Amino acid sequence: MKHFLYLHALSARQALVKILRQPFGSLLSLLMLSVALALPLVLYLGVESTQTWVGKLTATPQISLFMELSAEDADLAAVKSSLASHPKVKSFSFVGKAEALAGLERRNGLDGLAEGLDSNPLPDAFVVTPATPEPRELEMLQKELSGLPMVESAQFDANWAKRLFGMVELTRHLTLFLGAALGLALVLVTHNTIRMQILAHRDEIEVSKLIGATDSFIRRPFLYHALWQGVLAGLIAWGLTSWLVASANPAVREFARLYNEQLELRPLAPLELLAMIAATGLLAMLGARLAANHHLRQIEPR
Amino acid sequence: MIQFDQVTKRYPGGNEALKNLSFAIDSGEMVFLAGHSGAGKSTLLKLIAGIERATSGGVLVNGQNLSKLRPSQLPYVRQHIGLVFQDHKILFDRPVFDNVMLPLNIIGFDRRDAAKRVRAALDKVGLLGKEKAMPIHLSGGEQQRLCIARAVVHRPSILLADEPSANLDRAYALDIMELFKSFHQVGVTVLISAHDETLMEDYGRRIIRLREGQFAA
Repeated sequence: MKHFLYLHALSARQALVKILRQPFGSLLSLLMLSVALALPLVLYLGVESTQTWVGKLTATPQISLFMELSAEDADLAAVKSSLASHPKVKSFSFVGKAEALAGLERRNGLDGLAEGLDSNPLPDAFVVTPATPEPRELEMLQKELSGLPMVESAQFDANWAKRLFGMVELTRHLTLFLGAALGLALVLVTHNTIRMQILAHRDEIEVSKLIGATDSFIRRPFLYHALWQGVLAGLIAWGLTSWLVASANPAVREFARLYNEQLELRPLAPLELLAMIAATGLLAMLGARLAANHHLRQIEPR
Repeated sequence: MIQFDQVTKRYPGGNEALKNLSFAIDSGEMVFLAGHSGAGKSTLLKLIAGIERATSGGVLVNGQNLSKLRPSQLPYVRQHIGLVFQDHKILFDRPVFDNVMLPLNIIGFDRRDAAKRVRAALDKVGLLGKEKAMPIHLSGGEQQRLCIARAVVHRPSILLADEPSANLDRAYALDIMELFKSFHQVGVTVLISAHDETLMEDYGRRIIRLREGQFAA
């Protein structure tokens, strides 16, 4: 058992040394792999970062009810009472025209805006939270509310959020597809690397077989070589992604601020990093195993 | 120890290298294998090491019938055999020491004792001072002795040597023969092939003479 572990440690170390000793050749294939892996990783982080935010937007659909500018207090009271008694309205809040203008000033830093205007151009509004998230019922409710007296329009706020949500969903599917395709690429590239390694070590393999080496003894260094390649490629991809996220975040924050939102790309969580490294390592070993099964059988001593 | 039971070996293409051969070699015996090239000497050794399989008949090594052995079991038979090749089959990408270490790694020898074993084997063949040298810098005779050190370092019970002295001058060849004799003296079963019978006759051991795959009269 001790020797078994020792052999594994020995193979692991020798394989790593082998990769590090030919930095140029290894670096090229490592970089190729890591760039390929970084692509779905960045997409994944983009999807993950925006989707909680988008989800929050669509989870609480709201209908904005804008009154005619000429609406009187009596009209407001009438709408208020029909909203209060409507079974499909969960809650509602009133945003008066003065309040709306003050909010606009505050949020966008337009202090003194009110003083520059002759009259308040904003309408009175109600923000209605429906009792149901069901899209068809929401639509019916929107139509019904827009038919109330002195109501200018009823806007469904979640429409654009729905569209955004759909786009994020699409990107998520794309990420899955890219991840699968590039995972396959990782298997194939490692398969090829290990095939070359096996052919380059033909003499050693033949002699080892003559001396009584078992297949697993011969295979072991190649599997470790692949494992290191997969793990290192995963780590470099992680580094690339982290760098990209860090350098893109100021721009993302600035962009989100324009829409009064807080949004930034998050880095990979430790558990996600671990899972990714494990996945790249295993995929690489799968490629090596396939190559070894095929090519080691062809090298028989004569 | 080694037993051939009506063994025939036919290569693809119809060439019959061994024809219905039966003999036995006892444990601890030292036997020479003589014959011209093409007589079947190499084939006979390859059958014992499991490098080739008999077309018919049984090859028994250490009580195991190699003809019936599953390929996955073959390595464990080979771990009890030391092989010395005419072309040495040394690995030139690593120093002398690592070449001799290889069999000990394969059988799973305790690594602290392994270095001692390697040095003992190198000492035995007279290469102790060259353990750090790369094999490419060794002479032909030294390479052959390195091959012998690698063949005996894990103390196999059987030592097979295929024309070990073929490319060496007579003085070197005699040195090598003496080496094999010393292994035989500590109980190893030794089987050596050569086409030059004059080297064998001085030792007074059994000589198996082959001609065209059969015992020569």
